[in-house]
Amino acid sequence: MQDALAREFATAFEAVRGVVHLVPTRATAAEAIVRILKEAGITSAAAAALPEGLQEALVAGCGAAGIALMQPPYLAADLPLSMDGPEAGITGMAFGVAESGTMAEVCDEDSVRLVSGLPRTHIGVVFASTLVPRLVDAAAPMRAIFQQYPKNVTVSFISGPSRTGDIELILTLGVHGPEYAHAVVITEEQA
Amino acid sequence: MSSPRKARLEAAIVDAIEHPKKRNSLTRCMKRGRDSRSERLATLHGGAAFRQEVKAIKTRCIEQLPELQSRFIAAAEARGCQVYLAADGAEVAEICLRIAQERAFTQVSKSKSLTTEEIELNDDLQAAGLTVIETDLGELIIQLVGDKPFHLVFPSVHKMRDEVAEIFSKETGKPVPPDVDAIMKVVREYLRPIFLNTDIGMTGANIGIAETGGIVIETNEGNGRLVSSIGKCHICVMGMEKIVDTLDDAMMMVLAHPVSASGQLPTTYVTWMGGRSPLGVDGVERESHIIILDNGRSRMREDPAMQEALRCIRCGACMNICPTYGVVGGHVFGHIYPGPIGIPWTSEVHGLETAGDFAELCISCGLCKEICPAEIDMPLMIAEVKQRDAEEHGYPATNRMLMAAESMAKLGCTTAPLANWSLRQPWMREIMDRFLGIDKRRSFPAFDGQTLNRRFRKRARKLRGAAPNAGSARKVVFFADLFVQYNRGDLGMRAIEALEAAGCEVVLPKLQGCGYPYIGYGNLNAARDAALYNLARIAPYVEQGYAVVTPEPTAAYCLKIAWPKLLPYHPHAKQVAEASHEIFEYLLAQGFEGGANALGKRYGFHCSCHQRPLGAGAGVQAWLKARGAQVEFLESGTCCGMAGTFGMKAGALGYDLANAVGEPLFELFKGSGVEAVVTESSVCAIHLRDGTGLPVLHPLELL
Ligand code: SF4
Ligand code: SF4
Repeated sequence: MQDALAREFATAFEAVRGVVHLVPTRATAAEAIVRILKEAGITSAAAAALPEGLQEALVAGCGAAGIALMQPPYLAADLPLSMDGPEAGITGMAFGVAESGTMAEVCDEDSVRLVSGLPRTHIGVVFASTLVPRLVDAAAPMRAIFQQYPKNVTVSFISGPSRTGDIELILTLGVHGPEYAHAVVITEEQA
Repeated sequence: MSSPRKARLEAAIVDAIEHPKKRNSLTRCMKRGRDSRSERLATLHGGAAFRQEVKAIKTRCIEQLPELQSRFIAAAEARGCQVYLAADGAEVAEICLRIAQERAFTQVSKSKSLTTEEIELNDDLQAAGLTVIETDLGELIIQLVGDKPFHLVFPSVHKMRDEVAEIFSKETGKPVPPDVDAIMKVVREYLRPIFLNTDIGMTGANIGIAETGGIVIETNEGNGRLVSSIGKCHICVMGMEKIVDTLDDAMMMVLAHPVSASGQLPTTYVTWMGGRSPLGVDGVERESHIIILDNGRSRMREDPAMQEALRCIRCGACMNICPTYGVVGGHVFGHIYPGPIGIPWTSEVHGLETAGDFAELCISCGLCKEICPAEIDMPLMIAEVKQRDAEEHGYPATNRMLMAAESMAKLGCTTAPLANWSLRQPWMREIMDRFLGIDKRRSFPAFDGQTLNRRFRKRARKLRGAAPNAGSARKVVFFADLFVQYNRGDLGMRAIEALEAAGCEVVLPKLQGCGYPYIGYGNLNAARDAALYNLARIAPYVEQGYAVVTPEPTAAYCLKIAWPKLLPYHPHAKQVAEASHEIFEYLLAQGFEGGANALGKRYGFHCSCHQRPLGAGAGVQAWLKARGAQVEFLESGTCCGMAGTFGMKAGALGYDLANAVGEPLFELFKGSGVEAVVTESSVCAIHLRDGTGLPVLHPLELL
């Protein structure tokens, strides 16, 4: 079931010009991320809201590859300017929607949104085990999230790179936010 | 319509017809929107069924609005937001300025918000010394040139890349090449410091959710995320009608909105804010202000004729299909809200007078209603706007005459030889053109020397009262409408004989025409009268088990859809609607197998707009195919432009606009190599004959 959903997710995310990487584990996810960064010639990145285990593996991988990786905690005093620097942002996702190739990022402090929103490249990490089939099915996990955060919370649905068609309807990517969007889907380990 | 108004509108139409480049970019944009919508619907779970759900959700939430609004406010406050109720734009401006001044904030960056455009908030803020920058690219382009949106979803679709490049080179002081990628680079660099230095991030809200006290902001560019996360304080201006009950309701809107707009699922970014978060880990709280705008919405909610407009989720689909909007664009067909829904919304928030300035552009084809995700009956609401406007200004003389088409047809019929002769005289057509406003270039079908009812009575006398199939279980009331009644009684008789061949007993009570022109030209009271007259004479038969059958699609539309809507409390309107059928659909269901052999014939089928919700002519096409014909369904994706009698009117606001709308369809037919066009609509037939030069047949002619 989740395998089929992961494939459906991949098709949908790629249809909106994103790139999908299916990996079995957190460790292989870290490898995939480092490879994405290296292949794009990226030397600076920022991470936020990553699942336990992945964060550590990524620090090691980036260190070995000579990529400067910013990590939380991010202080408000340095923001938003500190996040204007990194070329890539890597964020963990709470769940995903297969039908539409959507990843849902949850945060109760906005540095996470800046990590995924300001750099030219965004890499989202989502567990296949969290994929729901259809967009309307997302109401249930959303309800759980809003209940878990009775005060402030922001959920960002992300489906591909920033796009506009405002000039002659020509599809153009990256007008403000990420021009390149990757989804790293962890297929075997559970969230 | 007073004449300076009409003159302005006509000049704008002529101007639009003369600027094909702008028009083509708009048409392309609309077609793209429609095509990608249908592509998505083809694979979407449940296809277009989400429309019923959206309609049900919005109807329920508008009904419960006061309660939902209180719950929303309480929940948003519990999440730390400050919520305000603003009666109008002035109050919104006052609240925003107070917030800015108390904190000495000067830099406002905005993500797209039609609601703030509705109240022209930027003007007030800028007049008070604030710097306000629109960050959605399309909005930024029109802000920089002081324009208004041309299209709801693509506000700057009328600006070509060279113009855009020039706008940005003027703004940045650096040369910008007319290349889309190069322009994007400049825009990114231009906006980045604006995002980073924002004091107030201002957004609209696509949805407010009572369950969570949260708001939803949908964007494709991601500017909404940056504006709402970076700004020292966030202000959201939301129309009160945006509030829904639950997260499930909201999810349905998140699906329906982009699917209808452009076939997307969902927009690239959907931001669900529940309260405002600190910027970093140190947890310093930041402000979020939510201003709920009324500006006429409460009044709309109380107005049975207008309340449906509150269901609008601003997807823009209606303007992707509106035939006349497609020619003139949103600056002519709109005030701030463009396109079909722009007429009722303008009338409610910017005044009847302003809406009346462009309401005449609606030719009442009904296509907007068929594409709307909330199934809003725009044509009926627009008719209401026209009626209210006419109470001030009276109806334009030509429209008044065309609404009374039936009396003219009657006269034409009684004086047929003379009437037909005069209609062929150029001098007569000149007079009609100048004094009656009926275009001299338009051809007319000849009047018959006797009405269909008369032919039927004569035949009955010949049959000495022995009606065919008397006592049969299949009984039919034949609803002739004008064309077969006054112009082609012979076709009417053929239709009746076909019904009889299918074993039906046919009666022809004395009925009027369906009265749709009254809706089209905005006289709903007269439309109701026509409906009441006919229903009173049809209902007794229907009570005895008769079916109602008509050869005219618009009449079927009235019987099945418009009358029950116009007369929601009528005791028989719904029953009659259920008993009503288009003739070929009915004949087919009775197992009728007659009609001329059409083996080897190739016909192009034209479906009239009013026929679309009835099954898009499936009945007649199936019948033609069963007779051996090859049938091609040819469509431009919108109306043919004739719209009943609209295309008979003289000049720009009639014949010329009808032709500009019809041109792409004419080309399709002409290029298709079919030997004839087949359509059941008697008025579309005139337009297609004039426009394509091809023979145009009513399928009854093939019986
Ligand atoms: S009814 Fe037709 S002409 Fe009128 S607004 Fe709707 S789409 Fe446009
Ligand atoms: S009226 Fe319907 S189709 Fe038009 S913008 Fe509103 S929701 Fe969309």
